[in-house]
Amino acid sequence: MTDYRLTGVLRAYRAILAMLLPADFHRKFAHQMIAVFAELEAEARQRAGRLGAIGALVSELPGLTRLALRERRAERVSRSLSPGARSTGQGMFESLLQDVRYGARSLRRSPGFTIVAALTLALGIGANTAIFSVVDGVLLRPLAFRDPSRLVAVGEQSSSAPGAVSVTSPANLFDWQRSSRTMRIAGFADRSGTLIVHGEPQLLDGTQSIGGMLQVLGVPPLFGRLLSEADEDPASPPVIVLSYATWRDLFGEDRTVLGKSIAVDGTPRTIVGVMPPDFSFMGEPSAFFVPAHFDAGFRANRDQYFIQAVGRLADGATLEEARVEMETVAARLRRDWPVFDTNLKIAVQPLQETLVGSSRTSLLVLMGAVGFVLLITCVNLGNLLLARAAIRRREIAVRQALGAGQGRVARQLLTESLLLALIGGALGVSIGKLFLELLLAAPVTSNLPRASEIALDGRVLAFAFVVSMVAGFLFGVVPALQLSRGSSSEVLRDGSRGSSSHQWTRSVLVVAEVALAMVLLAGAGLLLRSFALLQRVDPGVRREGLLTFSIRLSQPNPTFFPRALARIEALPGVRAAALVSQLPVTGRGIGAWLNRIDRPLPAGVNPTGEAYRVVTPEYFSTIGIVLERGRLLQSTDSKDAPAVVVNAALVRKYYRDEEPLGKPIYLGAPDNRLFQRASIVGVVSDTRDAGLGNSPLPTVYIPTTVMPWWNRFSFVVRTQQDPIAVASAVRAAVREIDATLPVRDMQTMETVLSTAIAPARWSTALLGVFAGIALVIAVLGVFGVLSYIVTQRTRELGIRIALGAAPGQVRRMVVRRGLALGGAGIAAGFVASVLLTRFMASLLFGVTPTDPLTFAGVAMLLALAAVLASYLPAARATRVDPMCALRAE
Amino acid sequence: MSDTDSRLPAPLSTQVFHILLSLVDDDLHGYAIIQDVASRTDGGLRLTASTLYAAVKRLLESGWIEERTTRPAGAPTDPRRRYYRLTRLGRDVARAEARRLEQLAAMARAKRLLPPLGASAKGARA
Repeated sequence: MTDYRLTGVLRAYRAILAMLLPADFHRKFAHQMIAVFAELEAEARQRAGRLGAIGALVSELPGLTRLALRERRAERVSRSLSPGARSTGQGMFESLLQDVRYGARSLRRSPGFTIVAALTLALGIGANTAIFSVVDGVLLRPLAFRDPSRLVAVGEQSSSAPGAVSVTSPANLFDWQRSSRTMRIAGFADRSGTLIVHGEPQLLDGTQSIGGMLQVLGVPPLFGRLLSEADEDPASPPVIVLSYATWRDLFGEDRTVLGKSIAVDGTPRTIVGVMPPDFSFMGEPSAFFVPAHFDAGFRANRDQYFIQAVGRLADGATLEEARVEMETVAARLRRDWPVFDTNLKIAVQPLQETLVGSSRTSLLVLMGAVGFVLLITCVNLGNLLLARAAIRRREIAVRQALGAGQGRVARQLLTESLLLALIGGALGVSIGKLFLELLLAAPVTSNLPRASEIALDGRVLAFAFVVSMVAGFLFGVVPALQLSRGSSSEVLRDGSRGSSSHQWTRSVLVVAEVALAMVLLAGAGLLLRSFALLQRVDPGVRREGLLTFSIRLSQPNPTFFPRALARIEALPGVRAAALVSQLPVTGRGIGAWLNRIDRPLPAGVNPTGEAYRVVTPEYFSTIGIVLERGRLLQSTDSKDAPAVVVNAALVRKYYRDEEPLGKPIYLGAPDNRLFQRASIVGVVSDTRDAGLGNSPLPTVYIPTTVMPWWNRFSFVVRTQQDPIAVASAVRAAVREIDATLPVRDMQTMETVLSTAIAPARWSTALLGVFAGIALVIAVLGVFGVLSYIVTQRTRELGIRIALGAAPGQVRRMVVRRGLALGGAGIAAGFVASVLLTRFMASLLFGVTPTDPLTFAGVAMLLALAAVLASYLPAARATRVDPMCALRAE
Repeated sequence: MSDTDSRLPAPLSTQVFHILLSLVDDDLHGYAIIQDVASRTDGGLRLTASTLYAAVKRLLESGWIEERTTRPAGAPTDPRRRYYRLTRLGRDVARAEARRLEQLAAMARAKRLLPPLGASAKGARA
């Protein structure tokens, strides 16, 4: 009869029903309830996987508890009305309820303990919940597209990062599209454009869709339609699909926008659709989507690399088949287009992996760290419960003497821990919510891929519930076993002295605690050292007193930028101003093939693509790049025989033992050169453009006069005082020339640099906080155990002092004990750290995962903490009044 | 309106009222009731199995619904599914509740908390 699949969750539900429901109700309705729940569970599982199924179970629990309590009460009432009718089979539930009630009473009796324990647990569970929300939203949850597991990223295999998927050219994309049988391939590219938002021109990030990209992703529009391949015909009318946010901001959620027109860069486009609010495109916000209008010439373009390709696997096709197919396609393209595609390799990778791969390590390290904090909390609570055991031994012995078996007592104690854990968990969820809000307020978190999908939802609640139960079990089981053993009569006779095995357990727990803290501290220490080294890296620019912003023209206008520069330079407080196509430290920028004319490459070998930046001559002096050899660019340089400046990194790569000055080079593919021939006239110092942690990239600096059509520049303005003071004057100057131009990203160079190291600062700060918490908890643990031991040994110490032991001797004895515990923990933690820190190697800069200095420093810190934590109990030990100690017995 | 309606009857719980509403047109099994309520409330009210059967038991006891002894024509022959039907009494109770809500809404309208009913709606009440 039971033909549904009996999953673990269903089985658990069935067991819970059997346990909670009164027999009568169970007989009548359990079958139907299981059948209904099976449907709900399958629904949730389809929506959110196994965690969703657990979520469905969790959401059943409150209603089920209410139902069970009410039905049982009703049954008791009816039984008392008709005595003699006695139902059976409910002992389990009754005794469970009794345990819970008894546990609650016992927790209420010691409010201090309960509050401290619940709060520490809440902190641990809260931190775990918050970080798990981030991990879940970014790494675990399937992408919010139709059938996301069938989506792949397709791209040229990047030579710098093997396995990574990189951009491709239009001609290649169309070749792949035509040849693939296993996938439907589409592409997209950045297409920012100026829209008038509330009367203000604003440069918004948009996306250009190639080959019906939105259809391939498969998210239905909120209303209207998606862009189709037919829209990409240059002859078809220009259309646009808006993001939900753009629609809301520009049209106030007006549903009649379809067919209206909106100007992008001055060209009107007809609105044909609006995307739903939760559509997050490739983890990055895109304000609008427009079809690409490539003419035949551009469709054949093979040396402009700017398209990211996505594919949807055809029904029945596997990732492996797609990879094999793309290998044959690549082989053919290599043969057909030797100049462009000699080295072509096509990578196919699950889309989710491509989107989140870069943040995986740091998120997993953080998840591990909060897990460790919770473990330490559990160990400490276990210790606290053991300490309480000394007080509770008598109470338990009395229960045992009254006939409670060992199992019953253990279960009672475990119920109490679980109850405590549930209280901590409930508190923890609210604390986690707070943590998550703090996390999301940090700009780095909101820049994570898929940040918009991070939420504290059913999956996260299910996680918090499971974590609380596991935690409750972890810290409850050792004390429960310890306490339920031992014979009652012995305890009743022996007073409150703890057994030695008991003390031994506590010592082991403390050693574990110190070891866990050591791992966390080592991890945080390594990140801290990396961060310090990273901050000391010279970015290659003088950051003080520099204001930067960028402007993009919708149409090339050769006179705008020179006029703007002149206007800004004339402002009071401004020393110099210059243009650059992309600011230093913000990324590689645009690249092109670089060829030495004086030493051509052998036939069939592709030149490598190197970065170039388009600058005005004053750029170098304004931003603080130093001339090493030759001369800088000059405004008098002729356009026909261009002069270029290269950086030291390029000289190291191409002119190892030669003089680069005067050597001819060209940039670009042979038949589509950016310029035919240029001479190197100077060599300048390096900047860290690919990030402070990466070595400088070989770079060519090209004068703006060679590329008068360049329409997007960053301004660098050197000021006399605080750059912020001249910001509004600069803005006004730009507006005077063209009031419709949006000024973007106005910020100081200082801010640009600190943004570049923000991710490192973020993980360092978080891990540092966790490690600090771990240290405090561990110190408290050592302190607690030693205080306890001193209390236990009061009599022995009293006798020693009475017999003439010097206070110093007694102190040393106790401190030695603390150091031994700490030392054992440090040794165990050392081994664990060596094993674990290598997983964070990719997050480190300038230090090895087993950096001796960090490990030694952390060990010293812990040893010091152990001494401190044992000194106080030691001092108390010496104050023991011998007479008092002896009388106490 | 009849005289008895001038007294306000005791309100039903939202869940109970929704379950009765689901059974007005059709005899449904448990999961179908949950789905119907969820779709009618745009997902706003999602009954769990336990809340549903807690209510079902009380509704059966009050005689507002009854279990069908035969399966509706065309229903899948899943033996675990029980179909429930609204009784005459249940229908009356649901109607009384709807009237009560209507009266409340009318009072709110008189206080201009809600906009007045449109002309077509007025005509329909005649």
